[in-house]
Amino acid sequence: MSNQTSHQFPVYSHPNAASTVHEQKPVIVRLENVCKIYGFGETAVQALADVSLMVEQGEYCAIMGASGSGKSTGMNIIGCLDRPTTGHYYLDNLDVAQLGDTELARIRNLKLGFVFQQFHLLPQLSALENVMLPMVYAGVKTAERRERAVAALTRVGLENRLHNKPNQLSGGQQQRVAIARAIVNRPVLLLADEPTGALDSHTTQEVMQIFKELNASGITIVMVTHESEVARQTQRIVWFRDGQVLHSHLLPEDIAQVASL
Amino acid sequence: MDIFESVKMAISTLAANRLRSSLTMLGIVIGNASVIALVGVGQGVQNMANRQFGSLGTNVLFVVPGSRNATEKPKTLVLKDAEAIATQVPSVKAVAPEIDRRELVTYRDKRTYTSVIGATPPYPSVRDFDVAQGRFLTDLDLKRNAEVIVIGSDLDQRLFGDRNPIGQQVWLNNLSFQVIGVMASKGSSLGTNQDDAAYIPITTMSNRIVGWTSPYGTEVTYISVSAKNKASIDSAQFQITNLLRLRHRIIGEDDFTVDSQKSMLAVVDAITVGLTLLLAAIAGISLLVGGIGIMNIMLVSVSERTHEIGLRKAIGATQQDILIQFIIEAVILSSLGGLLGTIFGAGGILLIGAVTPLQAAVAPLVIVVAVSVSGGIGLFFGVVPARRAAQLDPIVALRSA
Repeated sequence: MSNQTSHQFPVYSHPNAASTVHEQKPVIVRLENVCKIYGFGETAVQALADVSLMVEQGEYCAIMGASGSGKSTGMNIIGCLDRPTTGHYYLDNLDVAQLGDTELARIRNLKLGFVFQQFHLLPQLSALENVMLPMVYAGVKTAERRERAVAALTRVGLENRLHNKPNQLSGGQQQRVAIARAIVNRPVLLLADEPTGALDSHTTQEVMQIFKELNASGITIVMVTHESEVARQTQRIVWFRDGQVLHSHLLPEDIAQVASL
Repeated sequence: MDIFESVKMAISTLAANRLRSSLTMLGIVIGNASVIALVGVGQGVQNMANRQFGSLGTNVLFVVPGSRNATEKPKTLVLKDAEAIATQVPSVKAVAPEIDRRELVTYRDKRTYTSVIGATPPYPSVRDFDVAQGRFLTDLDLKRNAEVIVIGSDLDQRLFGDRNPIGQQVWLNNLSFQVIGVMASKGSSLGTNQDDAAYIPITTMSNRIVGWTSPYGTEVTYISVSAKNKASIDSAQFQITNLLRLRHRIIGEDDFTVDSQKSMLAVVDAITVGLTLLLAAIAGISLLVGGIGIMNIMLVSVSERTHEIGLRKAIGATQQDILIQFIIEAVILSSLGGLLGTIFGAGGILLIGAVTPLQAAVAPLVIVVAVSVSGGIGLFFGVVPARRAAQLDPIVALRSA
């Protein structure tokens, strides 16, 4: 494990990773000297200052940091919802930093899966139709869409709720539908933005269990959260402060120490 | 994403918001209904005017004494002129000179002032009139200055009621006339009730009632001429003018005028077309307002659906996908509104036709135009909201909770 991301802070190596195995894995996310500046001139705000970060295939990683630390901006750039002002971003070895809107939409559709705090299910569609939606934009054939959506919903344990509308589902179930929607196009990366922020502690555990299972089956997950309880269940924590990566491989047990700084 | 998917998606979205969708459509429905109904009414008015003029007879020309800008009516138009027209103008089918007067007609204790027309035998064929009972005047009646009378259907009702009028005697200007026929009902034309008139031989009229009023011969009120067909109206007008100028030895200004229905119809047409256009313009404005209503509600719908748009973009919808979806929604709404409006408009016209004398017509062309215009309006006014939706930043859209 080499020091790629930190500049003035010590590197915390991953406890479980055997370095020989680790280095052979393909890199999913590679941010290189990414800066993001909002606005112009005197009102310009630097949200990200020279961020470099790597996430390899199969990792389960949490992004933490105080509000305003740049973690959301980083998430947006990783999610191809936003472009860096300078620097490079390689997603699955493709430089996506300066692609056009249409290409980014295509990448979001096929390579990324999103899970949001507010679920963002379409209320007029059933669970099954919500999960089928990304495949509509991907141009998957109707019969296959249904098959894959049922499989994804089964995977999150909602095979009995296929035809329920979102308002007929509990919060935890809605988030599971959203997770099914995120994985249905078999993305290379699953992005979750405060996925448990709107859930109580019990359903939080339910959802975290699903993330854990998905990760165990090989899906790469990056999750923004401010709950250390949630972050502790991941394998690796990236800590943002003032638009920079403070720690790129923080151990779950050291959260309290860093957070108090 | 293909267009079929977009249409399916738009339909399911519209169906999920039925109230909003139907309110959006309402403006277009009203606009279309009023365009179709008002244009139909305008055409109904036009048809009615045409029928009124048609009731004067088809392809008819009127020769009236005096030029258009003369202040005094000359007494130069005489019965001989009518005979000359009938014999010397080839494009003329029949000629009906007449002398009009209002006279008191008396039958037993009933008396009434009515218009009495001194006519000739061709009168019914020129004026497109039928005899319901008995017979019309003949050449023999004219030759004998016979005291015979043919009455209109309303006059028949007034004087005789249910009694058979044929063979009865009526008094007119101290002369006793025998009723020989009753005309079929024709209705009023341009404010004159044609069923209220009585017809006597033109010779009897001039010799026994009017007397000699002109040094040139038997003065007539006017001469109706029917041309052979529609195409010969103009040539008949020209030939009659030439003939009468020769006969009257005119060098300067004419002392008569040849009016064709064509020129009158043209005036009426101009008026009714103007009326139709006016109605269509009013209705068009309501269609436009309907379109703006669609834009308005679509804009509201865009801000209401910010989340949905943000989510769709996050999971891979391109700007074009969103644009197409919103435009299709607008076009569906306006076309459906146009269709419903057509149904209401056509229904309204049928109702108007059933309860009023206007024979309002549903013109297929108007329906085609109205529906395609409303579809176009949906497209046009849908573009602005759709562009706004398509250009929403997904990050902002998702965070605006």
